[in-house]
Order: sequence, then structure tokens, then C-alpha cells
Amino acid sequence: MIELEGIKKVFRMGSQSLEALKGVSLKIERGEFISIMGPSGSGKSTLMNIIGCLDTPTEGEYVLDSDRVAGLSFDQLAAVRNRKIGFVFQNFNLLPYATAWENVELPLLFDGKNARKRKERVTELLKAIGLYDWREHRPSELSGGQQQRIALARALANDPPILLADEPTGNLDSRSGEEIMDILTELWKEGRTIVMVTHNDRISAHSQRIVRLFDGLVLP
Amino acid sequence: MNLTLPRFFWNEFRKRRKKAALITFALFWGTLSILLLLAFGQGMSTQFRVSFSGLGETLIMITGGQASLTFEGLPKGRPIRLYREDIAYLRERIPEALRIVPESYNNWQVSAGGKEVNRSVHGTTAEFALMRTQVPQMGGRFINADDNALGRKIAFIGWNVAKDLFGTEDPVGKEIVINRVPFTVIGVLMKKLQDSMYQGPDADQIYLPFSSFSMIDSQREIDRIHIQPRGPEQSKLVAERVRVLLGRKYRFDAADRYALGVWNTIEDSKEGLAIFKGIEIFLGIIGGLTLLIGAVGVTNLMYAVVKERTKEIGIKLAIGARRRIIIQQFILETMFIFAKGTFWGFIAAFNIVHLIRLIPVNYESFGIEAYLLRPIFSLRIFVAYVIILGVLVFLSGIFPALRASRSNPIESLRYE
Ligand SMILES: Nc1ncnc2c1ncn2[C@@H]1O[C@H](COP(=O)(O)OP(=O)(O)OP(=O)(O)O)[C@@H](O)[C@H]1O
Ligand SMILES: [Mg+2]
Repeated sequence: MIELEGIKKVFRMGSQSLEALKGVSLKIERGEFISIMGPSGSGKSTLMNIIGCLDTPTEGEYVLDSDRVAGLSFDQLAAVRNRKIGFVFQNFNLLPYATAWENVELPLLFDGKNARKRKERVTELLKAIGLYDWREHRPSELSGGQQQRIALARALANDPPILLADEPTGNLDSRSGEEIMDILTELWKEGRTIVMVTHNDRISAHSQRIVRLFDGLVLP
Repeated sequence: MNLTLPRFFWNEFRKRRKKAALITFALFWGTLSILLLLAFGQGMSTQFRVSFSGLGETLIMITGGQASLTFEGLPKGRPIRLYREDIAYLRERIPEALRIVPESYNNWQVSAGGKEVNRSVHGTTAEFALMRTQVPQMGGRFINADDNALGRKIAFIGWNVAKDLFGTEDPVGKEIVINRVPFTVIGVLMKKLQDSMYQGPDADQIYLPFSSFSMIDSQREIDRIHIQPRGPEQSKLVAERVRVLLGRKYRFDAADRYALGVWNTIEDSKEGLAIFKGIEIFLGIIGGLTLLIGAVGVTNLMYAVVKERTKEIGIKLAIGARRRIIIQQFILETMFIFAKGTFWGFIAAFNIVHLIRLIPVNYESFGIEAYLLRPIFSLRIFVAYVIILGVLVFLSGIFPALRASRSNPIESLRYE
């Protein structure tokens, strides 16, 4: 379960500071499928990064499965990102010199899984997203939709209960977007918690609940 | 450490090899050029040491004198003269001497092409060149052993003599007449610094094979014996042995300071030593500056590469890499690139130096190649270089890597 209480985030750039989140409180139950919507610059990505333990709030309390995230060490956070939360970015963030296979394998490697387990899991994931035949290709040789599916497979490598996706279809054409949404829906049905940022009403229609952000605050 | 990680590091490294190639090459090139620079510098300095210092660096010159003490009933005031046989006599009895060479001279009219000058003409042997820094200009040579054995009518002349008799023309191969006997010029002395001399600067001298000189000169005694001790530390001993041996032969007191003229250049070569120190310091500074430039270049490249990888580090952190993995990978990679670049630089420099040393150098003619073709490879310099550059490269990469591994993954991810 994800519990955010009074989350603030201030970015400092030299003498200027910008309050991207102004006190966000949010509760996400296990197994929910939530869309976060809001205008550009409203703090959606900032919030997602904090939920994903990629960034830390300036103020406020984040409790993840009854752990205070602020109390976790750097490497404990790494373990959370590795096993508990899968993160899908708008711009994929694949390693450019690594093949599709290697990109998916990496979280398993960081988790210390042995070679046999890694091989089994990567094969399974690549087959599930229909890119097994593309396993030796590098990201630059794949279409945007294919790259995002690889990124999705990577996020799922250690079978995390939570999947975060920040505009996963933002850089994709509508057909590829639909494919990604089908997979996300499927994953939700399997029992995963899914939090997704989108601008698109058709996309957000897949979710159970929509959270709207405006200027760093959640609209009631 | 998980055993699969080194394999992963290696795989990643191989994929990125092309990007690292520039740094590897820079390291290779830097290593190669600095090692070569210092090897040639050191070789040249050593060769200069052998040949430079005006007269010759470790040289003892003996001339005849006048007994100033009575000895075994013999009166003082007797002249002491040196003869050809003394050369063999001394060679046999002074093993600490590397070379012993005779020299005789006389002033004669010398003419060529209608011009006539009066010059000091010397007879000596091939080894004289090594001891007295007689380096020929391009296209010429000094007297060699055959010239002496065959009594060839050839002459090696100072550059002033060449100018006086031939102007701007090349004298090599032309004829000069000395004391009414024709000789062929075979070499002109290369210009050199000379701050100590006896019959005037070498620029004004003419040298003939000793045997040829004897044919046109009537005197039986020789004017000067040049002795080169095996090492500078033996010069005192050698000078003393000469006094004792010749004293026994010509019956004078070895303690008699006037019986023989003994000029020990080592004793007054402090100035020469300062020059060589100067050369070495100069080389050290050049080497240091080169190293600095190289280090700045490599540091820059290293820094840029790590910076470039900031985003990639962010990706890895985002999918759960612990900090240790990031740092380990960085260190291993840096060490590998560094080792590879410097290793090949070392191999290349080592081989170039030793290949060049294989080129034969004719020490008897003592041309310019003797300076250039004897570089000296110094392992000590290599080790110092590796340590200094290694530390710089390591520092230049470890800081951005540490910073990237410490920051939020998102900060690294945002880096473009
Ligand atoms: N690292 C940062 N440093 C400074 N300012 C930042 C940083 N990250 C975000 N911001 C600012 O915080 C505000 C919220 O940004 P955020 O990326 O969360 O918006 P968003 O809702 O995701 O917008 P978009 O729909 O365009 O992705 C913006 O004004 C942005 O410029
Ligand atoms: Mg955003």
C-alpha cells in the first residue's frame, strides 16, 4: 500500500526555488489501477518519481507497505526499486549499447539471480511481450512501441507488485499505445498495483480511479 | 562480489569499447611519446657526456717538463721528454686507462687553392676523436685506424681552417698542401663549444694520422699523451701511476710536480657537470610539461566519458543497482583502459628504443647519428609516469562517478 501525507517538493536552481508539489496526500490501495492527470508542469512526474523512490520529498511522509521511505538507506531504496516497484518512463530509458535481452536481464542481475533463473525469466518476459525474436537487437534498431515493451518487460523482471508508468504512451502512436495499455490492463488483472500518468482521456479510461493534479496539489 | 557481475562489466565494456578507444589511444600515445622523449633525451645527454665538454670530459693530458728536484744523484733542471714508445709502455702498465693516445704538433705553412695560412698541424690516432670530441660535419669523417696503419695522406681540419682556405666551398675531397706535402681533406670538425684548449681552439687545428705526421715531421719525441681513465673516479689514480711509471723510466721523482705537465680535466670539470645537470633539469622540465599536457588531455577525456555516462548510471540506479556496483564497474573499467593504453605505449616505446639501438653507429667517425641513435629506455621513468598518470586518471573519473552514484537516480537521469 502507498501512503503519501503532505508531500512537498521544492527544486532549487541557484537563488530561485520552485515548489513543484505543495502538500500532496494520497492513498493507493494494493491492486488499484490509478491514472494521474493534470496539465503540464502540475507536478505529475515529480510525484511519480517520489512514489518510485527515484527522488525524495522535501517535506512530508511517504509510507510504502508500512516502511517509512525516508528511513531507508540508499541501497535499501535500490532494493525497493529493484523488486517492489517497476518504473516505465515516457522516453523508455533503455541502455543504448545493450541488447533487448540484456536490458531485460539487468534488474535480475542486480538482484543476484543466477544464470539459469535469469535466462528462464527473460525468455518468459520477451515471449509474453512478443519480442523474443528481437532479443539480440539494440534499442536503436527497435520501434518506439517495441522499445516501450522492452522497458515494460524490464520493469517487470523481478515481478514487482507495483508498476509505475509516467506517460508510457506519450511517445507512441495510438496503435502501439493501445498495445501497451492492453498489457498494463492484463498486469492489473493479475493483481498488480498500477499507477499511470497520462494526458489522454482514452488512456485514462482503462483505470479505476483518476487523480487530478493542478499546480502541485491534488484536486478534490 | 557476485561472480556474474565481472562478466556483466566485461560485456558492457566490450560493447562500449569504441567509445573508450579514444582514451585508450590517448593513453597509448601519451605513454609512447613521453617515454620516447625521455629515452632520446637521456640517450643524447649520455652521448653528450661522452663526447661534449670541449676537450673531452674524463681526460688526463700529459706533456713533458723539467725536473725540479734532484733524483738519485741526477741534477734538477733536466728536460723530460715523451716518446712514442711511452704509449705502449703506459698501455701495458695502466689497466685503469681505457685509452691512451699520442699527439704531436708543429706549425707549418698550409695552402690550398692559392691561399696560404700558418697553422698548427697535429698527428694523432683514431681514438683521439672519442677523447677530444672531434665530431665531423655531415659528409666527412675523422682519421681511422686504417689511415694510421697505411700512413694515408689525409687531413681532418677545423672549421676555421676550412673557411680560411676554401671559403664557403666544401673542402672534403679537396687537396691541401702541408709543409709542401699534399694531403686530401676527409672531414671538417663540427662546430662545438670549447672553453679549454692548448694549441688554440680546435677550430683552427689540422689533424693528420700519426704515421703520416711522422713522415713530414723531423722530431722524434711526442708532444702530448692523452689518457682516458675507465671512470672519472680512477683519474687521480691513473695520473699518479703515470708519474710513477714515467718517473721510473726517465728517472725523476714521482712527487716532482714540474717533471711532467699533468692536466686532469676531471679536476676542473665542475663547470661541465653543471652543464649536464642543466641538460637533465631541462629534460625533466620538458618531460614534466609533456606529462602535464597529456594528463590534462586524458583527465578531460575521462571526465567527459564519465559525464556522458551519467544518464546510464541513472538508468541503472533506477532499476535497482546498488552504489557499490556502479563504483566497482567504474574502477574496473578505468583500470582496464589505463592498463591497456599504457601497456601498449610501453611495448611500443620499448621496442622502438631497442630497434633504434640496433642500428649500427660508427663510433670512430662519430657522426651525428651517435647522438640520436642511442636512446636509453628507463624503467624508472616509466614507473613514475604510470604512478603519476594513474592517480590523475583515477581521480578524474572517480569524482564524477561517485557523484553520480550518490545523487538521486532522477538527477542522473535528467542529465543530457
Ligand atoms: N529537477 C528539477 N529541477 C528544477 N525544476 C524541476 C525539476 N523537475 C521538475 N521541475 C519543475 O517542477 C514542475 C513540475 O514538473 P513535472 O515534471 O513534475 O511536471 P509534469 O506534470 O510531469 O509535466 P509534463 O506533463 O510536462 O510532464 C515544473 O515546473 C518543472 O519545470
Ligand atoms: Mg511529466
